[in-house]
Amino acid sequence: MSREERAASIILRGVENTRMPAGLLSKTYLVIDDFPDMRAAIRSIIRSIGATQVDQARDGKEAIDLMQKTRYDIILCDYNLGPGKDGQQILEEARYRQLIGVDTIFVMITAENTRDMVMGAVEHIPDSYLSKPFTKELLQKRLEKLYARKADLQTVNKALMAKNYNAAIAELDRLISTNPKNLSELLKLKAETCITTSRYDDAKEIYDQVLDAREIPWARLGLGKVQFYKTDYPQARETFEQLIAQDPNLILAYDWLAKTQSALKEFTVAEKTLQTAVKLSPRGLKRQQLLGDLALGNGDSEQAEIAYEHAVTLAKNSVLNHPALFAGLAKSKSANNKHTEALKVIADIGKKFQGSDEAAFYVASTTALVKHSQGDTEGAQEAMHAAEAAMKDLGARAQDHLFALEMATTYSELDETDKAAALLHQTIANNHDEHECLAQIVQICSKAGIEYDAEKAIREIRQHVVKTNNAGVRLIKQGDFDAAITLLREAAEEMPANKTINLNVAKAIIMKMEQAGATSEDILAVRHYVERVQGLAPGDWRVADILLRLRQLAPKASGE
Amino acid sequence: MDFSDILASSIHDIKNSLGMILNNLDDLITSPENHIKDPRQTRLLQDEARRVNSNLIQLLALYKLGHAELVVHVAEYNLEDFLDEVIADNQAVCNALDIQLDQSCAPDLSGYFDSELVRSVLDNAIGNARRYAKSRILLSADHENDGLVIRVEDDGTGFPARFIGRLDPTHPLQQGEGAGRTKLGHYFSAQIASLHKTSDHQGYIQLKNGHQLSGGCLELWLP
Repeated sequence: MSREERAASIILRGVENTRMPAGLLSKTYLVIDDFPDMRAAIRSIIRSIGATQVDQARDGKEAIDLMQKTRYDIILCDYNLGPGKDGQQILEEARYRQLIGVDTIFVMITAENTRDMVMGAVEHIPDSYLSKPFTKELLQKRLEKLYARKADLQTVNKALMAKNYNAAIAELDRLISTNPKNLSELLKLKAETCITTSRYDDAKEIYDQVLDAREIPWARLGLGKVQFYKTDYPQARETFEQLIAQDPNLILAYDWLAKTQSALKEFTVAEKTLQTAVKLSPRGLKRQQLLGDLALGNGDSEQAEIAYEHAVTLAKNSVLNHPALFAGLAKSKSANNKHTEALKVIADIGKKFQGSDEAAFYVASTTALVKHSQGDTEGAQEAMHAAEAAMKDLGARAQDHLFALEMATTYSELDETDKAAALLHQTIANNHDEHECLAQIVQICSKAGIEYDAEKAIREIRQHVVKTNNAGVRLIKQGDFDAAITLLREAAEEMPANKTINLNVAKAIIMKMEQAGATSEDILAVRHYVERVQGLAPGDWRVADILLRLRQLAPKASGE
Repeated sequence: MDFSDILASSIHDIKNSLGMILNNLDDLITSPENHIKDPRQTRLLQDEARRVNSNLIQLLALYKLGHAELVVHVAEYNLEDFLDEVIADNQAVCNALDIQLDQSCAPDLSGYFDSELVRSVLDNAIGNARRYAKSRILLSADHENDGLVIRVEDDGTGFPARFIGRLDPTHPLQQGEGAGRTKLGHYFSAQIASLHKTSDHQGYIQLKNGHQLSGGCLELWLP
């Protein structure tokens, strides 16, 4: 072959290489990088593939602004963007604010020195990681594969976005039956969907099946989660410990182990577990906050202060920033006798979260605690009354156990033990099946030493709720829907923020309508209970299931 | 700060510069407005820049290994997709050298490994094979003896007899007398292989001749 011929063949092959799936060419792209040269280089690679709609952003703010205007199909984001948000925080915020969906391809670009940080991420994992520098050919091939994968999962993703989990599982089963090359990805997704919808035995079956063939971390971790959700905590603890022994870098296993240890009320051990985890992966905001919460509860105020300092710093550019982080920092500083610094932190809450009712509540409740530690009884009382007023302003949101527990802690520290006990009692009733919340209540009581036997109260309230529920179910089975609904409604009025009970009333009314036909009165009643639950937990899958059944009963009246 | 830390931080800088060189070279080559007299030269230029880059990656990995900082991110990958990417990355320069580069692998084969580290091992092996191959380099992957094996082979004259066998990750630098970068590459590859382990198996590198093609064959065994 002559030199000219060879050159021609190279160019020809080059052209052949750039032939992309037509779908990829018409997509909208966003390139996020703080270096103009790098941005231009990536953009020119995408253009050379044949795509024309390529936007660029130099930092997180610009990126989020653009995402609000355009719904991008493919986002290429450098992890390290200098000051301001990093790539992980952009991904977090974009998903949190639903600027991108599961159908968006998000590729995180990393350098050697950021790879470990990025890959330690727990939630919000990008679709793919790409190490710098990369060639045009690699990017092209990667996008092709990601595109094909998303196309495969299109129906599943649509169903998941609509929270129609039955449809998602049905489609996953169909795909799995074709024995595709991404079989394990599908199995993993199916198992996770099963967990989301509390079908723990179905999830377990998948994990067992995968583990039969080979020891695989995601399946072992999934099995541990199932054990946790089925409240088999000792077994779950063993599973997570085993995972950590196999791979001491598996951050997720530490998080779950700490959760399990907390549920077992081993708060000191849980704190130690999270201490190890934050050493390995210090950039997890929630992990730092959880460590702060645990340490503060354990009376380890020095560790708490360090963890909350980290959390507040990490939250600075994050959509997950919350007044509770500052409140935690102020409380731990005060516990370390740095009252003036603590009051400064509290003042920051007001500045950072101007006009927020939640912030006003945290400002007041934390001020009460700090002033009490300073010996300023009058100031503490005043702040406590302000906190009570702020709690009223929160309306239905005040039922959220976060606020209730914060208020109960304040009461108990200020020796208002009766008020603390009453509030805790109500919180147990509202959260009888939320084990983590119940464990926190036990921790608060044991730390404050208040005369309230939380464990006994939890047992009694649980028995009461389970009894009512069972009676309701029995009446439904006997076909006596009206009696069942009356019974459950009474319980729901007694425990207005108990999600399970509210949902059970809604379900009972739906079953009645499925038998006897829909009436507008009943539909309104269902919506009333559903809205209560949505106000407390917007993401609760059980709501989606009920709304789906309601839609089938009365497509127009449901207003969906 | 000791010298190795300074070295490590300079490597990041050099890598960023190399990234820019590579991207601009790519623009230079692919832009239809440029009339380059000998495109083969630019391809080779590009290839040398990438060799430097992969050497730096190896150095950095070995540096981290020495400081017990190298974290292996094992995940599941489909082998066909993975090898497709490796081939896409190396195709242009093989074309320029008139070497056919392809792969054979069952579409549903998957394996557990750190993709970036294994990619470096394979890039390095392809870089070696390219210097000895007559006309063809073949990548393949298979499930054998309870493990995954990825092979990079060529149709050249094969490894000298003293290279044949399993590479010892503790002393590979003493093995053979090949060129310096081959030795570093082998050392790196053996280290990366051995970092992939389960409770009762550990990865390793084996060199042999005449597997499917007549020449040398590097086998990466992963548990």
